Amino acid sequence: MTPLLEVEGLRTVFRTSAGEVPAVDGVSLSVERGKTLGIVGESGCGKSVLSLSIMRLVAHPGRIAAGSVRLEGKDLTTLSPAAMRDLRGRDIAMIFQEPMTSLNPVHTVGFQVTEGVRAHEPGLSAAELRARGIEALRRVRIPSPERRFDEYPHQLSGGMRQRVMIAMALAGRPKLLIADEPTTALDVTVQAQILDLLRELQAETGMAVILITHDLGVVAEMADDVAVMYAGKVVEQTDARRLFDDPQHPYTLGLLGSIPRLDEEREDLLAIRGAVPPPFALPPGCRFAPRCPFAIAACNEAQPPLLPVAEGHGAACIRAPIEKALAA
Amino acid sequence: MTALLEAEGIAKHYPVRQGLIRAKTVGTVRAVDGVSFSVRKGETLALVGESGCGKSTTARLVLRLIEPSAGHVRFDGVDITTLDRAALRAFRRRAQIVFQDPYASLNPRFTVAETLREPLEVHGIGDGRSRKARVEELLSLVGLAPYHAARYGHEFSGGQRQRIGIARALAAGPDLVVCDEPVSALDVSIQAQVVNLLRDLQRRLGLAYLFIAHDLAVVKHVADRVAVMYLGRIVEVAEKNELFRNPRHPYTRALLAAIPHPDPARRGRIVPLGGDLPSPLNPPSGCRFRTRCPFAQEICAKEDPALEDGVACHFRDELPPAGLDFSGGLAPNAARRLALFAEAGRRQGTP
Repeated sequence: MTPLLEVEGLRTVFRTSAGEVPAVDGVSLSVERGKTLGIVGESGCGKSVLSLSIMRLVAHPGRIAAGSVRLEGKDLTTLSPAAMRDLRGRDIAMIFQEPMTSLNPVHTVGFQVTEGVRAHEPGLSAAELRARGIEALRRVRIPSPERRFDEYPHQLSGGMRQRVMIAMALAGRPKLLIADEPTTALDVTVQAQILDLLRELQAETGMAVILITHDLGVVAEMADDVAVMYAGKVVEQTDARRLFDDPQHPYTLGLLGSIPRLDEEREDLLAIRGAVPPPFALPPGCRFAPRCPFAIAACNEAQPPLLPVAEGHGAACIRAPIEKALAA
Repeated sequence: MTALLEAEGIAKHYPVRQGLIRAKTVGTVRAVDGVSFSVRKGETLALVGESGCGKSTTARLVLRLIEPSAGHVRFDGVDITTLDRAALRAFRRRAQIVFQDPYASLNPRFTVAETLREPLEVHGIGDGRSRKARVEELLSLVGLAPYHAARYGHEFSGGQRQRIGIARALAAGPDLVVCDEPVSALDVSIQAQVVNLLRDLQRRLGLAYLFIAHDLAVVKHVADRVAVMYLGRIVEVAEKNELFRNPRHPYTRALLAAIPHPDPARRGRIVPLGGDLPSPLNPPSGCRFRTRCPFAQEICAKEDPALEDGVACHFRDELPPAGLDFSGGLAPNAARRLALFAEAGRRQGTP
């Protein structure tokens, strides 16, 4: 069976005074039906531009320069704007990090939750719309949905707002939900509520999820497969279990070493030196080489391709596995 | 050991007014409502809690950046809530703050040198030449280069800006630094750099930190003692290891149980805390956590539990064990490669 979503060689560039710079540079990945793909990386790695590219929401001066995005075999990069608009919300939906800025402050929760229904099914009566909206709020476990329907976003807590966003996204029963840092702005107890909710809804509806996050704890909790991104490229890709059991790329190692853990005592955290290079000043070879303690001269010469290190496990590093490289 | 900083029953109440011309007070937001704690010389006390618990307000109260509605703050035995302006300035030479947002907390019109020189000028420390030397010393202390002095804030990344913010706090040679979520706005790999820097500076300069945070994993890494806040109150305070080994207050347990571990083998063990944070305008009667507490009984609605023996809970000695499991850690392969990473970094002189 073909995967639900297949991204191949996707390249999204932005025109700047310094010429065209790539924010996403040759990314290939796939999402199976009903599964969760975690995309991990820090600011500037291209994970948000990747999700906007899948939705074809990249605004000028950005554009998709190469590659394909196939949903059930259909290439979204060549669809007409009208066909694409029809598909958004119905086949793919998206939720964002900041539920306050993503909701319109001058409309009621009910008006916003029913917006998709109004667009796709004109002619519903006000009472029917209200019933549908309340049902949508109930599905995301919002208490007293009848009352919340008439309230405004500022009257809701952050967690409730993210539930409203999820209700809006799920209204069209999408096959794929893209969640871009959905819990980053939330407190940890609220984050746990939202992750629980996402998991339940996924089990109910069978939708696939692309979960974009910088938090390895959230990835470990939610993802079936994981792609680690750095400076516009996927540097490591495998299933979640293997990523944590057998991390290969030095950047993945650096991320794992940077996070303080509750289940470990360590004197100093392992910091990655330096910072992510800006997309207009990318190093010529491996983009992580300037920060990598294992880098050798060859790393600066050519960009390493994502090569299999094991069945179902790819890493873009010519030194992987590192213990072998160091022993040689 | 004597306390460097002592807060005693401090509170901050904000009146809520309604109406334009004859505004009437219709209620009071109790942002901080009777909080006591102490910070010893050279130690780190972490103040932990979720948004709206009053931790940042507490940070500002102990520096008297805002005036308390009640209570006292003593620094080296002197009550700073009654100091006049001159005495307050002298106090601020010894107690400084690092803010959360390194983008908003640097003056965009100042070069780094000007930013670092300002506290020296305000406090009348040194002359032109010695200040220039001090700026260079501060830069090297936080891992920046001398040539950075002539640059402006916007030329730096978030992590570097936070280093500048830390250097500014250290300029006048404080004994206490209040760190208000100093790494929350940073990427994880940069967070680690700044956390390591703060620990290193503490060792070298003997600083005391009041470390405000919402991330318990970061707290576990930096703190000596931890105070957990909920709705304007401290609900539990304990030595760090004791708190993580044996969390006693139901809210502390709920916080710890909600954290996802970076270990897929332990998936599905996070326990969400039910309900929403009540409004600080109208907090629940009795124990403020009772509306979300699985152990709440009748007495919890009637009587406000005092912070005794480090816990503010009527059932402090009767709760079942927390049953939280913090074993695990890195997988063997990951740990081995991380050791190689650290080793290779050290050989190349990673800061």
